[in-house]
Amino acid sequence: MDRSRYFLIGLAVLLMAALVAVVGQSLTAGREPARVMPVVAAPTPTLPTEAGMYARASRAAEYASMPTEPNRRRTLAVYYARRAYPGAPPAIPHPVDEREAFGKACLSCHGSGGWAPRFEAYAPVTPHPEMMSCRQCHVPLTPGGEGRARGPEAVRGSVSDWQTFAPPRLHGSAMPGSPPPIPHALQMRENCRACHAGPGAVSGLRTTHPERVTCRQCHALAAPPAEAFARAPERASR
Amino acid sequence: MPIKSYLAYPVRGRSDELAAALRRLSGCQVFAAVNRDVLVLVTDTPHEAADEALQGALADIPTMDALALVAGIGDAIIDSEATPAGAHQEGPHDPA
Amino acid sequence: MTRRDLLRSMAAAAAISAAEAMFPGILFGAAGSPGTGAAELTPSDGGVTWRKTPCRFCGVGCGLLVGVSNDRAVAVKGDPASPVNRGLCCVKGYHSVMALYGKDRLTRAMVRKDGKLVPVPMKEALDLIASKMAETIKAHGKDAVAMYGSGQWTIPDGYVASKLMKGAIGTNNLEANARLCMASAVTGFMTSFGLDEPMGCYDDIDHADVFVLWGNNMAEMHPVLFSRLLERRLKNPAVKIIDLATRWTRTSMAADRSILFKPQTDLAIANAICHEIIRTDAVHEVFVRDHVSFHEGKTHIGYGLEDKFTFKDEPKTIDLARYRELLADYSVEKVEALSGVPARELRYLASLYADPKKKVMSLWCMGFNQHTRGTWINNLVYNIHLLVGKIATPGNSPFSLTGQPSACGTVREVGTLTQRLPHGDVTEEKARKLAAEIWGVPVERIAAKPTYHTVEMFRAVDRGDIRFLWIQVTNPMVTMPKLRRYRDGLRKDDRFIVVSDVYPTPTTDVADVILPSAFWIEREGMWGNSERRTQHFERMLPPPGEAMSDTWQMIEVARRLGFEKLFPWSEATHIQEIWKEYRRFQAGPEHEMAPYEELRRRPGVMWPFVNGKETKWRYNGQYDPAAKAPFDFYGKSDHRAWIWFRPYEAPPEVPDAQYPFWLNTGRVLEHWHTGSLTRRIPVLHQAVPAAYVEVHPNDARRLNIVNGGRVRLTSRRGTLILPAQIDGRARPPEGQVFVPFFDESYLINELTLDAFCPISGQPDYKKCAVRLERA
Repeated sequence: MDRSRYFLIGLAVLLMAALVAVVGQSLTAGREPARVMPVVAAPTPTLPTEAGMYARASRAAEYASMPTEPNRRRTLAVYYARRAYPGAPPAIPHPVDEREAFGKACLSCHGSGGWAPRFEAYAPVTPHPEMMSCRQCHVPLTPGGEGRARGPEAVRGSVSDWQTFAPPRLHGSAMPGSPPPIPHALQMRENCRACHAGPGAVSGLRTTHPERVTCRQCHALAAPPAEAFARAPERASR
Repeated sequence: MPIKSYLAYPVRGRSDELAAALRRLSGCQVFAAVNRDVLVLVTDTPHEAADEALQGALADIPTMDALALVAGIGDAIIDSEATPAGAHQEGPHDPA
Repeated sequence: MTRRDLLRSMAAAAAISAAEAMFPGILFGAAGSPGTGAAELTPSDGGVTWRKTPCRFCGVGCGLLVGVSNDRAVAVKGDPASPVNRGLCCVKGYHSVMALYGKDRLTRAMVRKDGKLVPVPMKEALDLIASKMAETIKAHGKDAVAMYGSGQWTIPDGYVASKLMKGAIGTNNLEANARLCMASAVTGFMTSFGLDEPMGCYDDIDHADVFVLWGNNMAEMHPVLFSRLLERRLKNPAVKIIDLATRWTRTSMAADRSILFKPQTDLAIANAICHEIIRTDAVHEVFVRDHVSFHEGKTHIGYGLEDKFTFKDEPKTIDLARYRELLADYSVEKVEALSGVPARELRYLASLYADPKKKVMSLWCMGFNQHTRGTWINNLVYNIHLLVGKIATPGNSPFSLTGQPSACGTVREVGTLTQRLPHGDVTEEKARKLAAEIWGVPVERIAAKPTYHTVEMFRAVDRGDIRFLWIQVTNPMVTMPKLRRYRDGLRKDDRFIVVSDVYPTPTTDVADVILPSAFWIEREGMWGNSERRTQHFERMLPPPGEAMSDTWQMIEVARRLGFEKLFPWSEATHIQEIWKEYRRFQAGPEHEMAPYEELRRRPGVMWPFVNGKETKWRYNGQYDPAAKAPFDFYGKSDHRAWIWFRPYEAPPEVPDAQYPFWLNTGRVLEHWHTGSLTRRIPVLHQAVPAAYVEVHPNDARRLNIVNGGRVRLTSRRGTLILPAQIDGRARPPEGQVFVPFFDESYLINELTLDAFCPISGQPDYKKCAVRLERA
């Protein structure tokens, strides 16, 4: 009965083909490219930038032997009096020529510091000399002409109910003798030496060891506590 | 007993709020520890009744977990001329 | 030390010893003094939380982080996550939150009774406003009530105002102070491209090789953006900044080249550059052939000095050949004579635009917009970029800078102007139908004819055609040009003026009802900046006293007028609901706005926001999903950008024998607009405590004026005595003076002229004629 055998073989081939087709179709349907909704990644917490950390580090060894201002007039109180709140751009306490609003004029004293005979003081050093438009953020405390700096009222004002938080506390080491953490934000203040070392440094903040130039090797940022480290739970099988 | 000192323990993580709340009360002086969640509270009230009122106010502070009395100096001693035995003359903020 | 002090120290010492025994290594800080009134707030690792917001001030739209502690704003940081300013601010931004705490902050509603302002409960004031509005509409018609808002309005403020005035009441008497700062930029965009707002973004700064600043003192007015220009130049010394202005400023100081021109001749200079580009065969033939069409309009179009002045342009399509002919009068030699700019400088400018290897970004603001031919000069700068094909690609960018934090976001995008709806113009039936559908009002209620732009609106109040005016977040009694007429107008009997503000100002002085407004972060809101970035801020602080957000004030009045169904939202979620409703207007790849959750999460999102991506460069097929070709100017029916020939025309009032000086007005870095906010910030106030008039040293010598001495300025409309400033931070050329308008004790707008661009309605604050004498 050849005919029925051929018929059966033909049927089997047909069924195989159908099987392949159906299975293949269902497999590829399962592999349809999914519509991906683009997800904007949550911003990862960033570490503060390191740019400017080593500025003037080559002179740091000399800071230890440099003279400091005899009267120590640049105290923390004076420092904060020029700022509307801790971290604000300080007002300019000396008269300025209106023509000098950009980079070179201000940086000639505030770029590397030094003794300014006119004011009989050491010029404070800016931690962000790459910002060229100084008068964009720093405005004079003494509008043109007057020679005397005005007190904290000028910055914080008695016509205003402005209040702000207390300046960061000193000390705060984790254990006695530990390097104290950095209690202020580092944005635009990556160069520690500008305020903490040298003759123009704020008295009360002066470091005992200016010759050590990699400050953040020992002093960490006192940030709000991050989530405590915990290992991911172990997977059941490997 | 008008001059007292305590150790105040804040609710976990709310040390600064407790310090602020205590400082708002009159007659209270607060020393906050910088590396532990513990505060030293020194109270100074003119007479017993005021002190009791202050106790009530302290009990109402929600951010305080516990308050431990350390030392108390009563009216009698303050008003008399004698200095209590064992007193030392350091300032209150000498670190260890 | 008293005995009591000693005993206290002993008690403290005992407690400290106990602590040291229990916790080895414990350290104590200094004591807080007892009984100080203000709670001592703790530094950043303690009770201060930092929350994001756009800055309250200029159109740059810097991202800020405000430090909040105990329901007070206590500090500001630049938001490092914001791509706009990357963590930097300017002196106004750094001290912005101090504006919340001036001692004379308005906290109670006030009603004028027998000439005196008396405090009343908020409810009573709102009842009175609603009843007065209804009464006026009944007696004089719906076009007798008007609202005047602001480019400092949040987007929800503007949306509710538009829905109330246009959807509920059915009048087009809705305007905003952005008419006085951005209207010409808008009509410039609409005539050249058919769609508003820049096609580029701030990222262009990071790609451009040449920056041409046209008549704007960017170093003082958009300082953080200018710092980005400086940073770009610092890293790439070949980058050039050219300052093209009528006076020498801080921007000129920082620029590589400062070019001074005579007022109004910017029109001629732009044409001269086009002329030169064509003459030197620098036209980008392919781009022009495929993507540009040429047009001309009417000339001698007037200045709007008369009441009810109207203008309708008659556009005619022309071609490049005809355009060349029309430019024949603008050779560099001819323009040198007119403008005072040497021919070689004009050629230099043209060469910068023409150089195919250089990417050019043009930046402008009020010098172009506050101009009696403001629309024209906006067209002309686009002409330059279109002729050389330098547009809509990174770095090649004619960029119209905005003055206010949300002139774009609110006034232009929500459309709080007489002729606009949240999508489209009132004259377009399609736009009216869309508004009627989304608002749920009959389409017949939406008026199809615009009524008045700002100057005409205040003229209408003066004449009595408008009897009720509600002013929010702006100070027109300092800023209207030819101020006296409009101040007298608002003061007339039978004009009911409602003012919502945060501090007393010359505008609240003429009010019949004053409503205290919640300020900035005392309410939730969104603003949109110059680069099409919408930024959200949450409510961070409680408003003082009975102060209420402008949005909620309008909703309360709307409900009292019987429109509860149109304003059904709850106080807790109304901002979110409003945003959801507003978004519907802007759906589509040309203007899609981001959903609420995205705005909350991110430091601003640019529109169009299509499939989760911001469109940074519009009309460019590579970046813009709405563009169907490499360049597709889909705003116009021919899908091309339109070059308009516009001639030079002189201003209405020029110096003459009797009034020989140009008067220019503007701002300074430290003060925002009329100073009602910044003068209450002590740092800013005492940096620039009073207004002055800048005089050139030669003029001063001639008139015997000394620095700081008194000068009398007189125009045909008024007179003022001001202190002189000679060789201050800016120097006008001979024959010109400059006065900043932040000081309400020197109302310089009493001297200015209310001439405006006939196409946009925007007045010209930069040019009128005055006389100077020593006083």
